[in-house]
Amino acid sequence: MLARDLHAVTVPGPDVFSALGLDPGAVGVTYAATPRHAQVLVLAGPLPPELREAAAVAYAQMPRPRVILALGTQEFSPLPDPDVTGPASHDGLAQGLRRVRELLSRHAFSPEARAFEPAVLATRTEYTCPMHPEVVQDEPGTCPKCGMELVAREASGSSDETHHHTISHKDASAHDDHAQHEHRDDHGGHAENRTAEGATSYTCPMHPEIVQDEPGRCPECGMFLVPADSDEGAGSDTGHAPSHAHHQADSHPHDHDPDAGEVHEHGAGMDFMSMVEVTKDLPRGRDGLPMDRIDVPFGPLFPGLPGGLLLTLTLAGDVVARASARTLTGPRSALPEPGMPAARFIEHLASLDPLTPTAYRLLARRALEAASGSTPSAHQQRARLAAAERERAASHLGGLAQLARQVGLPWLERRATRFQLTLIHGDHDALALLARQSVALRTRLERTPLLAARLMHVGALSPADGLRGPVARAAGMTTDARTHDPAYAELGFEPVLHQGGDALTRLHVRLEEITRSLRLAEAAGTLTMPADFDTHAAIGDAIGDAIGDAIGDGQAVVETPRGEACLQVYLDGGLVTRARLDTPSAGHLTLLPELLTDLELGDALVAAGSLDISPWEASVS
Amino acid sequence: MSVLAPILALLLLAWCVAVLDAWMTTGRFRPLAPLTATLALVAGESLVPRKPDRLFFETAPILLLLAAVLAAAALPIAPHLVITDLATSALFVNAALAYVLVALLMAGWGPDGAYAMIGGWRFLGQTIAYSMLIVMPITAVAMRAQSLLTTDIVRSQAGLWNVLYQPLGFALFFVAAMAVSFLPPFDLPTASGELAGGVEAEYTGARRAIFRLGRTILIVSLATATTVFYLGGWLGPWLPPWLWSALKTLAVAAAMLAAGHAVPRLREAHLLAWAWKAGIPLAMLNIFLVGVLLLVIP
Repeated sequence: MLARDLHAVTVPGPDVFSALGLDPGAVGVTYAATPRHAQVLVLAGPLPPELREAAAVAYAQMPRPRVILALGTQEFSPLPDPDVTGPASHDGLAQGLRRVRELLSRHAFSPEARAFEPAVLATRTEYTCPMHPEVVQDEPGTCPKCGMELVAREASGSSDETHHHTISHKDASAHDDHAQHEHRDDHGGHAENRTAEGATSYTCPMHPEIVQDEPGRCPECGMFLVPADSDEGAGSDTGHAPSHAHHQADSHPHDHDPDAGEVHEHGAGMDFMSMVEVTKDLPRGRDGLPMDRIDVPFGPLFPGLPGGLLLTLTLAGDVVARASARTLTGPRSALPEPGMPAARFIEHLASLDPLTPTAYRLLARRALEAASGSTPSAHQQRARLAAAERERAASHLGGLAQLARQVGLPWLERRATRFQLTLIHGDHDALALLARQSVALRTRLERTPLLAARLMHVGALSPADGLRGPVARAAGMTTDARTHDPAYAELGFEPVLHQGGDALTRLHVRLEEITRSLRLAEAAGTLTMPADFDTHAAIGDAIGDAIGDAIGDGQAVVETPRGEACLQVYLDGGLVTRARLDTPSAGHLTLLPELLTDLELGDALVAAGSLDISPWEASVS
Repeated sequence: MSVLAPILALLLLAWCVAVLDAWMTTGRFRPLAPLTATLALVAGESLVPRKPDRLFFETAPILLLLAAVLAAAALPIAPHLVITDLATSALFVNAALAYVLVALLMAGWGPDGAYAMIGGWRFLGQTIAYSMLIVMPITAVAMRAQSLLTTDIVRSQAGLWNVLYQPLGFALFFVAAMAVSFLPPFDLPTASGELAGGVEAEYTGARRAIFRLGRTILIVSLATATTVFYLGGWLGPWLPPWLWSALKTLAVAAAMLAAGHAVPRLREAHLLAWAWKAGIPLAMLNIFLVGVLLLVIP
């Protein structure tokens, strides 16, 4: 009974789970907003090392009792071994969760439970003298200069560095935030210390012409006077802002703070905490307000972003002052070992991006065909088209569910996910019905109040070189690799094109593409066999025979759901010796820092999400 | 009147709202869900973040619960079923709701996490948007009743419910009430897709159970307030008064939950702009219209 409502943290993320055809919602599991609210950590598929580290941090944040369920994951370090394992299929998930529920219903949390402390979370304690900050050692003891007992503090530096750079959720943010937190506290503390020092002349913070020897109030405005040289003191005080590590010491302002020494040296004081003084050296935001800035990580296991994408936003208030983006799914190589047999190369490329395996399988196949000079039959081409278009529709539906999670539309998340799973599992006969449903979904979204207001003008991009796929087509660029494909031309294909370039336009483009892709897949499918989604049959199996021991280079371009991907391969005696892959997400990832700067936090996340970046694709080098 | 009956009524209504909420978000109707969810929370670990402001962290959930219960204390369920019948009870509701802001700011600051802190500050901004829209419609309601006594306000609606007498005020109060209880689309401080739970993110176990109870009772309090101020409170034929109150309160709560599920979360800037540029002038207009009606219709 205790385990009926399960909340799960999923690694890599809900997007990959849906793409793999896993549906936690169908077995009564909801995606937790934070590891703190989850009881089960579900891993699916092979996980890159940095993602495993992020998972370990998430696991450490989960309250006990907690359980790990691994579906088709082989490597776990630094995570502990999973409690339950199963295959990466929906049945595997359902059976695994049944077992998880059994485990959870038998175990409540006992205070004696063993803690999980992965190395990435370990912090080093060092000891320092309250009066001589230069004295720092690893062992407790007394200060060689003054003989005082050394006090413990959390070490800044290396262990903290790893922390900041590797980790996702709360804990890293807690660090940054903590620095701020203490920092503000310190002002209160400093102010009190200063008054004790005493200064010779007093002036009004607002009226510098008022100067007198005694403390008191300003005759002009009634404010308390401050010591005349307090500018200097306050200046060097706020100057600490960038060096957060300095404040990492686990001390409170009224304790013997290493900072206290500095304060006494400045000797300046204030009677009260003047906002003007406190904020005068802080950086100004877009609106001219001075504010403390905090670096907050969003990702790689964040409910509103693709799993594996890490945004580090420097926030001034809730406006993004600076942004950086990277993926935690890499580094991955298009060709891990030179001299790969062609068949294995295709499998490898298909496994690069769990979100769109078909597109990359097709890309590898095409490039190899170009290199060996073989051509697919018309029949095969249509089957490929059907498989690719199905995947495009499914991928865009996954993007819709992602948007729904981000802006809080539970009905859309449910509907888009169910739609996506039907599309993945369903046969060819369902396509016509699904195409009609996609039109209904579009109408419903157009009628959703306030959705347009939420997305309009957010993350607008004007036509530029880096844009590809739906992002480019929403900015009015006619870039679509499918326009040059005779198989598409035969079916009367025309790309969706919109002007505007903001998140709303991108949503419209994707919605229209879902319908068109389903119609294309249906039309192509009726001409040949039903295109079994993502199987060798659809794309072609007997690559070995066609290639033989061909020598040569080939290039292929495929319009993946996220845009044009380009692959160059060099074949030598039937083996792939060189490969160069160019993906749309890699380019889109570099747009993020500029795009997100100066946006309000909610808008920044919507803008980042609307680019539909695949971290997997972006981390291929 | 004993205090026990209204408190029990409040808990019962909170139970119903929790079931309703789970039904609407997950699509599954499970009347025992609040019990199992609470047990699971209480049986689980209640973590304390690494470097909390312990006082704020521990106080916030309790203060939220307290503010919600206090707001409900001045609202009658039936003519004599009210915890305290103050002479200024309409004002008291408003005063109690002010502590929701304090509780959320403390919950944001206490755990020393960035998501929680941003959530807390966001709610401060949200308060600036909604607070006038709570007070000004209440003013117009009190004008008609010629009293700040909530029982008098209910009796003043015997002829015509305020929802028809001053529909504009009702609409504004309804929306503002959703914003106070940070229900979607006003869930800016707890947004899961933007702040991974925000102010609620660092609470686990029993502390989270209290936080959630406080939040649910807050929804009930605001739904009761809407019922008392605009839907004639316990007034109604055939059924006993307390049942009318309960049914109306649940209907209002259901409407609030349903409205939230249909629209995406607002942008903070839009919320403030709309509240001040449209909401406050409309609330002024409402006061003016009610004043004219009071003068014209004796």
